[in-house]
Amino acid sequence: MLKYALIPLLPFAGFLIAGLFGKYLKEKAAWFPIAGVVGAFLLSFSAFLDVLGGTVIDENLYSWISIGSFSVNVGIQIDQLTAVMLMVVTTLSSLIHIYSVGYMHGDKGYPRFFAYLALFTFFMLVLVMANNFLVMFVGWEGVGLCSYLLIGFWYEKKSASDAGVKAFVVNRVGDFGFVLAVLLIIATFGTLDFTEVFAAVNTPVADVTYSLFGGEIAVVTLIALLLFLGATGKSAQLPLYVWLPDAMEGPTPVSALIHAATMVTAGVFMVARCAPIFSLSEVAMNTVAIVGALTAVFAATIGLVQNDIKRVIAYSTISQLGYMFLGLGVGAFSAGIFHLTTHAFFKGLLFLASGSVIHALSGEQDMRKMGALKSKIKITHAVFFIGSLALAGIFPFAGFFSKDEILWSAYNSSDLGRVLWVLGVAGAFMTAFYSFRLIYLTFWGKSRVDHEVAHHVHESPKVMTVPLMILAFFSITIGLIGMPGALIPHANWFGNFLAPLFPHAEHAAAESHGLERMLMVFSVLVALAGIRMAYSFYVKSTAIPGKIVEKFQGTYNLLLNKYKVDEIYNYIFVDGLVHKLAKVLHSIGDVKIIDGFINGLAAAIGNTSVQGKKFQTGYVQQYAFAMGAGMVVLVGLYYVLK
Amino acid sequence: MNTAISISGLKALLPFLIMTAAAMVVMLGIAFRRDHRFTVLLTLAGLALGGGSLVFTPFAPDRYVTTLVLVDAFAGYYLALLFAAAFAVVCLSYSYLEIQGGHREEYYLLVLLAVLGAAVLAAATHFASFFLGIEILSVSLYGLTAYQRHRDQSVEAGVKYLILAAVSSAFILFGMALVYAEVGSMEFARIAIRAGAAGGALLGTGLVLIIVGLGFKLAVVPFHLWTPDVYEGAPAPVTAFIATVSKGAVFALVLRFFGNMDIRVGGALFLIFTIIAVASMFFGNLLALMQQNVKRVLAYSSISHIGYLLVTLLAAGPLRLNASAFYLAAYFVTTLGVFGVVTVLSTRDRDADKLDDYRGLAWRRPWLAGVFTAMLLSLAGIPLTAGFIAKFYLVAAGIGSALWLLVIVLIVNSAIGLFYYLRIIGAVYSMDGPPGPSMPISLSGSAALGGLTLALLWLGIYPGPFLALIGSLMQTAH
Repeated sequence: MLKYALIPLLPFAGFLIAGLFGKYLKEKAAWFPIAGVVGAFLLSFSAFLDVLGGTVIDENLYSWISIGSFSVNVGIQIDQLTAVMLMVVTTLSSLIHIYSVGYMHGDKGYPRFFAYLALFTFFMLVLVMANNFLVMFVGWEGVGLCSYLLIGFWYEKKSASDAGVKAFVVNRVGDFGFVLAVLLIIATFGTLDFTEVFAAVNTPVADVTYSLFGGEIAVVTLIALLLFLGATGKSAQLPLYVWLPDAMEGPTPVSALIHAATMVTAGVFMVARCAPIFSLSEVAMNTVAIVGALTAVFAATIGLVQNDIKRVIAYSTISQLGYMFLGLGVGAFSAGIFHLTTHAFFKGLLFLASGSVIHALSGEQDMRKMGALKSKIKITHAVFFIGSLALAGIFPFAGFFSKDEILWSAYNSSDLGRVLWVLGVAGAFMTAFYSFRLIYLTFWGKSRVDHEVAHHVHESPKVMTVPLMILAFFSITIGLIGMPGALIPHANWFGNFLAPLFPHAEHAAAESHGLERMLMVFSVLVALAGIRMAYSFYVKSTAIPGKIVEKFQGTYNLLLNKYKVDEIYNYIFVDGLVHKLAKVLHSIGDVKIIDGFINGLAAAIGNTSVQGKKFQTGYVQQYAFAMGAGMVVLVGLYYVLK
Repeated sequence: MNTAISISGLKALLPFLIMTAAAMVVMLGIAFRRDHRFTVLLTLAGLALGGGSLVFTPFAPDRYVTTLVLVDAFAGYYLALLFAAAFAVVCLSYSYLEIQGGHREEYYLLVLLAVLGAAVLAAATHFASFFLGIEILSVSLYGLTAYQRHRDQSVEAGVKYLILAAVSSAFILFGMALVYAEVGSMEFARIAIRAGAAGGALLGTGLVLIIVGLGFKLAVVPFHLWTPDVYEGAPAPVTAFIATVSKGAVFALVLRFFGNMDIRVGGALFLIFTIIAVASMFFGNLLALMQQNVKRVLAYSSISHIGYLLVTLLAAGPLRLNASAFYLAAYFVTTLGVFGVVTVLSTRDRDADKLDDYRGLAWRRPWLAGVFTAMLLSLAGIPLTAGFIAKFYLVAAGIGSALWLLVIVLIVNSAIGLFYYLRIIGAVYSMDGPPGPSMPISLSGSAALGGLTLALLWLGIYPGPFLALIGSLMQTAH
C-alpha cells in the first residue's frame, strides 16, 4: 500500500511549492497546500475504507538507521487508531486551509502562512502514521517546531515572541521525558517498532527494575510515566499546560488547527497508541486519570472568568484534553479517542467561529467590548451556538456522547473512578457555564462594541462560513457514531471499530444500563443548569456577576490571574534558576559573556573599539592562564582519581 | 623495526605525496601566473586528485609505513572526509575572496598545506608524525586566520591563535617528553599498552598534558576561550575550515591515540574526559544562548558539538568508531553549510555575522534561507537532517555502554541548543528585513551549498548506504 505514503507527502509538496515560490505566486500560493491537503484527505478516506474492510497496514518503506543489530525503519502503520486520526487531521486541516483563504486575505505573510500550515499537516500525519517510536518522534518534534514558529514568529509583537519562547521551554520539558522513554525502550527491548515493543512488554524482557530516589520502579512503569510526561507537555496538562493559553497569540486558524484540534491531541494519541504499555502499570494509569481529571477542573475554573474570547476557548481546550486523559486513565481508551474526535470538530468550529467574530470586529478579542452581535453576524452566531452546545455536552450534540462515555467509564472503573467522576461532573457544569457566558457576552445583551468598530461589523465571506457550516454539521452529528449501549444496544460503531485495539465490553451488563441512563440525565441537567446560570448572569440580570465578584474578590482575582501559576513558575525557574545560572557563568568568567550582555543592550555601538581595547588589555594572557589552570586541575584530578 | 619504505609503502603514501605536490604546484603556479581562478582550479584539481588517489591506495589494517603512519581504512575514511571538506571550503573561498581585493592566491597554498597537516594527523601513529601534523596544520591556520590583513579583527584573531596554539604545542611537546621518559617509545601502540593501570606518574602527567594540548585544538572546556574570538575574527571560510578540517583531523588522532588505551569506566582518564565532555556541552550551549553575533553563536555551538562527540570516545564496543565517523561526517556537512551561507552573504567590508544580516532572508532569498534553515536544524539535531541521525547514533552508542549520565546531559543540552538555533531561524523568517540589494551568489558558492544540502538530506533521510559503508570500513580498523 505504498500509495498511502503519499498521505503525508502531498501536503509536504504543497509546503515546498508555497515556501519556495511564494514570493512569485503571491496569493495563488494557497492553492498548492490546499490541493495537497485535500489530496491527503481523499487518500486517507480510501485508507479508512480499507481499514473498515479489515485491511490493517503495517509496512516498512526502507531501512532508515541500522546500527549493529539494532535497526529502525521508515514505515507506516494504518490501523483503526491511525485511520481515525487520519480522518480527523485531514478533514480539519482541509477545512482550515480553505477557511484561511478568507481569513488571511491581504496579510503580507500569506504564502508563508500556508507553507507553515501545510508543513504542520505533514508532520502531524507522520506522527499518526508512524509504525515505530523514532518516526513518531519525527512528527512529534516537527509539529512542535511548526507550533513555535507559528506562535512566536508570526507577529513582531513582544508578547508573541515571549509566548513562542514559553511554548518552547515548556514543551522541551515534556519532550525530555519522551526522549528518555524512547531511550529506555531501546535499552530494554532493543527495538523501537511498535508491534515488537508491544509484543515484548508482557515477556520477561520487561522484568527490569530501576532504583530511583530510593525506591524500586519497574521499567514499564518508568517508560509509561516518562511518555506521559511528554504527553503533558504537548497536550497541555498539569503542570505543563501554561504555554497553551499564551499560544493564542498566533493567528486564529492556527489556534484552531494546531492548538485545539490536532497537535495538542498528539499526547492523547500517543498514550492511546502505547496502551499496551500503560495498561501494564496501574501507577501510570492512575497518574494519567488523576492528572486528566484535575486538569479538566482546574482549567475550567480559570475559563470561568477570562475576558479574551480566544483564551476562554483555550482554557476550555486544556480542560477537554483533561477529560480525554481521564478516559484513557480509567482504561476507556476508545472513549478518550472518541472525545478527541468529537472535540476536534466542535473545538475547531469554536475557534474558527471566534476568528470570524474577531474578523468582523476588526481584530477585537475582548468580550467586554462585544455584545449584541447575533443579529449582525447570524451565521457565525448560529454555528457558535451549535459548537457551544456540543462543548457543553447537551444531548444529542457531539460532546454529549463522548463526554458521557468518559464519565460513565470513570464511574464504573473503581473507587478512585467515582471521585474522578465527581470532578468530571463539576467540570461539566463549569464548561456549560463558561461556554454560554461566552455566547451571551459576545452575541447577546447590549452592544459594548467600540463606536468606530461597530460600523464595520460584517459577516465573513463564504469561503469562511462554508467551512464553519460543515464543522457545525459534524458538531451535531458526529457523536452519533458512538451511541452508548444504554440508549441503543450494540450501536456504538466507534467503539466497535476500535475494538481490535482497545477491547471494550459494552460496559458491563444490561442491568447497569438503568444507572447509566440516570447518570446521563443527571449530567445533562447539570449542563443545563450551567447554561441557565450563565443566562441569568449575563442576559437577564447583568448586575449579579459584579456583586459576586465584589463578594468573592479574592477568589475572583485568583482565577483571573490563573492561580498565579505563571508568576510562581517565573519565581522558581526563571528568577531562581536561570538568572542565578547566568550570574554563575558570568562570574566564572568567560570574558566575552559580558560582551553578550552589553550587546543585548547597546547593540553594535562602539563594538569594534571595545574589541581593540580587549586585545591590548591582555585577554590572550587570561586565555593562556585559563589553559594553564585547567591543566593543573586536570593533572590534580588525575592523581586524585587514580 | 622497519624503517625503509618499500614500493607498496610509497603507494600507500600516494594521497600525502599528491597533497605535497599540489602545494608545490600551486606555489609555482602563482609565481608564473597570478590569477585567482587559475589558482583555485589548480587547488581543486589537487584535492580531487588526492581524493581520487584514495581509490588506488592499498589500505590495510597493518599497512604501517615506517612506524610513523598507518594507512588503514580508518585513515582512508578520514582522508576522504578531509579532502571533501577542503574541496567545499575552496569553492566557498573562491566566491568569498573574489569580491575582496589584494593577493588572494597564497590563501590556497595555505589551505593545501593545512590539509596535508590534517591528513598526516589522521594517519599518525607516532609522536613524531603527530607533532609534525599538528604543526603543519597550525602554522597554516595562523596565516589563514589573519589573511584579511585590512581587518583588525582578522589580524587580532590570527595573533591570538598563534600565541595560544604555541602554548598548546608546548603542552603537547612536554607531555610527549614525559610519556617518552617513562615508556621509552613514541609509538601509540606501545604507549597504549603501558597506559593502563600500571602507568606511572610521568606517563599520567604526560597524557594529561597531551589532553590539554589536544583540548585546545578541539576547543573543549576549559581550553575553549580562543574559539569565539577566532571564529568571529577569521574570514568565514577559514572559520569553516578550522571548525571542520582542523577539528576533525585532531579528533581522528584522539580516537587513534586514546582509542587503544584502556579508558575504563571509573578510571581517571574516563572521568577526565567525562568532565570535559559535560562541561563543554553545558558551557557551549549556555554561552551560545547569550550571544548576539552569529559567528560567536556557532563558535559556542561547535564547543558543545565536540562535547557530544567525546561521548563516542568513552563508549565501549565496536559502535564507537562508527558513531564518531558518522557524527563527524554529519558535522562537517552541516558546519560547512552553515558557514557557507555566512560566506556567500558576506560583503567586501565585513562578514555577515550580525543577526540583522539574516532578518527576513527568507523573503529576499528563499532558497538560501531554506539551506540555512536546514543546516541550523541539523546542528540542532532535528529529524530528517544528518544531525539527527548523528546524534541518535551517539546516543545509541552511549546507551549501549550504559553511559546514562552523559546521555542525559546530551539530551538536556540538545534541548537548550535548539533554542538559539531557532532564534536565528526566527530572524530568517521574520517580516521586517532590510530590503534586498542582493548581489548574485557565485556559481562555485551555490554549487558547494547545493551539494552540501543534498548531502545533508541524504544523510538524514536515507543514511542506510553510508552507514553500511562506515560499518565495513571501521570493521577493519580497531
